[in-house]
Amino acid sequence: MPKRAWTSVLARWGIVLLVSLITLTPVVWVLSLSFKPPQEWLAYPPTLIPRQPTLENYLVLFWPGNPVGVVSEMVRTAEPVTRAFINSLIIVPISTALSIVIGFLAAYGISRFGAGGNFLPFSVLTTRMFPPIAFAVPLLVYYRSLGLIDTHLGLILMYTTFTLAFSLWMIKGFIDGIPRHIEEAAILDGASRWRVMFTITLPLIRGGLAAAALFVFIMNWTEFLFALIFTSRFAVTLPVQVSRYAGAVGRYYGPQAALGIIASIPVLIAGYLIQRYLVRAFTFGLVK
Amino acid sequence: MRFPIQWKLKWAEERWMGQLLILPMQLLIWFVLIIPMLIVIYLSLVSWQPIMGVDWWQAPFAGLSNYVQAVQDPRFLTAMGRTIGLVLVAVSLEFLLGLALALFFHQQEFPGKRIFASILLYPMMLPWVVVGLCFYLLFLDKGPVNYILISLFGPSASVQWYQNPILALMTIALADIWQWTPFMFLVIYSGLGALPPEPVEAAMTLGANRWEIFRYIVFPMLKPVILIALIIRTLEAFKIFDLVYIMTGGGPGTSTESLSLYLYRTGFIYGQLSYAAAMALLVLILVALVARLAVRPLEREL
Repeated sequence: MPKRAWTSVLARWGIVLLVSLITLTPVVWVLSLSFKPPQEWLAYPPTLIPRQPTLENYLVLFWPGNPVGVVSEMVRTAEPVTRAFINSLIIVPISTALSIVIGFLAAYGISRFGAGGNFLPFSVLTTRMFPPIAFAVPLLVYYRSLGLIDTHLGLILMYTTFTLAFSLWMIKGFIDGIPRHIEEAAILDGASRWRVMFTITLPLIRGGLAAAALFVFIMNWTEFLFALIFTSRFAVTLPVQVSRYAGAVGRYYGPQAALGIIASIPVLIAGYLIQRYLVRAFTFGLVK
Repeated sequence: MRFPIQWKLKWAEERWMGQLLILPMQLLIWFVLIIPMLIVIYLSLVSWQPIMGVDWWQAPFAGLSNYVQAVQDPRFLTAMGRTIGLVLVAVSLEFLLGLALALFFHQQEFPGKRIFASILLYPMMLPWVVVGLCFYLLFLDKGPVNYILISLFGPSASVQWYQNPILALMTIALADIWQWTPFMFLVIYSGLGALPPEPVEAAMTLGANRWEIFRYIVFPMLKPVILIALIIRTLEAFKIFDLVYIMTGGGPGTSTESLSLYLYRTGFIYGQLSYAAAMALLVLILVALVARLAVRPLEREL
């Protein structure tokens, strides 16, 4: 091989490896931290592989007063994350399912019948355009009057609405992609409009619906601001617990890292499954 | 023109079905979006704090005084300027890095390319609070970044990242860039993949060099995609809250406070909901204006 080709191969791999390294390092560091015992959290020099790996940081999250190990001695006062975990597992799937169902119905109405005119689909986008804090101020006043503060229902309603932009636009893109003549053939055969929607169109966009659902799941699972403002004790979700745990246990970096890892695993899996659809998802179907 | 009666019936049925299909969405939008927006306008015009003990609809009318207070509030104005600066720096770096990476991945062939591309994408999925936590831990006084600095440049190179406003802002910007460069990469890379190959091939046969091909062929064709990516990312970055909340809490002092964080504190920590409502409306107006301006070149393109 000529000398020039060699250096360009080397440069190319240099770039690829450097970029991968930068991408992976922060999370790998936190992963490693989550398996370290307290004396290694700030050990100098820091090591990537824990010298004495331990699962205590994870154990202490769910069982703060457990009798084994030193970490639990330190963070005895912290509240367990179990409730936040269960809350996320209730709130996120329900609001995701609602968002997809409502989004599908509306997308079908808009795509096939032009319902809502030009204005409606774009007005939904404004929920994603403005900073959510601007909606939080009036919603607080409103939720107080209705007794929705710190309830699962309160968060579910918000999460459903604020992900509608994604589910509506993504699903609308998939429905637009199904040729109308397939539906028209079924109507000529005597099927009702509703039947056509559920038995012809819906099965055809199954894959797209699943992708939209997983993406909305990611958005809801990672939401922080609304959860921080509208929950205090009963309906706290995992991201709030991450922030709160950091405060509650002070400089106990091991458990913080462990909680961060736990909070990330579901969304990483979901993201991996919908790689093909990510462009569509993040751009509301504007880029395909 | 006269239509057969069956057609008219069918139209009526479809109209009715269409309205029914969008009904659930409209109910939600009224409930969580439109009514609250009316409330926020009302709130911004009265003087109300939850602590006053009266219900919000009984609060005394205050005219535009909340707005006057906002445009004279140095903390509001600096938070606004700081947020805009952060957005400009972070988004332009994300764009340049993402563009470079996308061109690199598009032009080069190497084994394992798809695996590396998917490694690049994962930061976007992570919860913001977790990204904040990761970077917070990296930049601790005794964290790995300082360790690397010390081993490279000696013990005096250790930096207290969170004590200095500029450095603290830098760590926040870095976290944002780390998380969202993949977005720019993803959108531009897939945009590149969707371009027709003929114009580039034609230019190559005509003897254009790489820069000319990029500047005069690829870039103009990519422009709509790039504009969409920039608009989405700018609006998104302007919301920045989670990273600041986790990494610095706005400190030292209020020197890294973002707009969202200041609004959050005014409304929900200090309990001045009317004042927060007025500032929120000012922010909405600003964002709407910027978005309107940003969409205009896009409309010309499409």
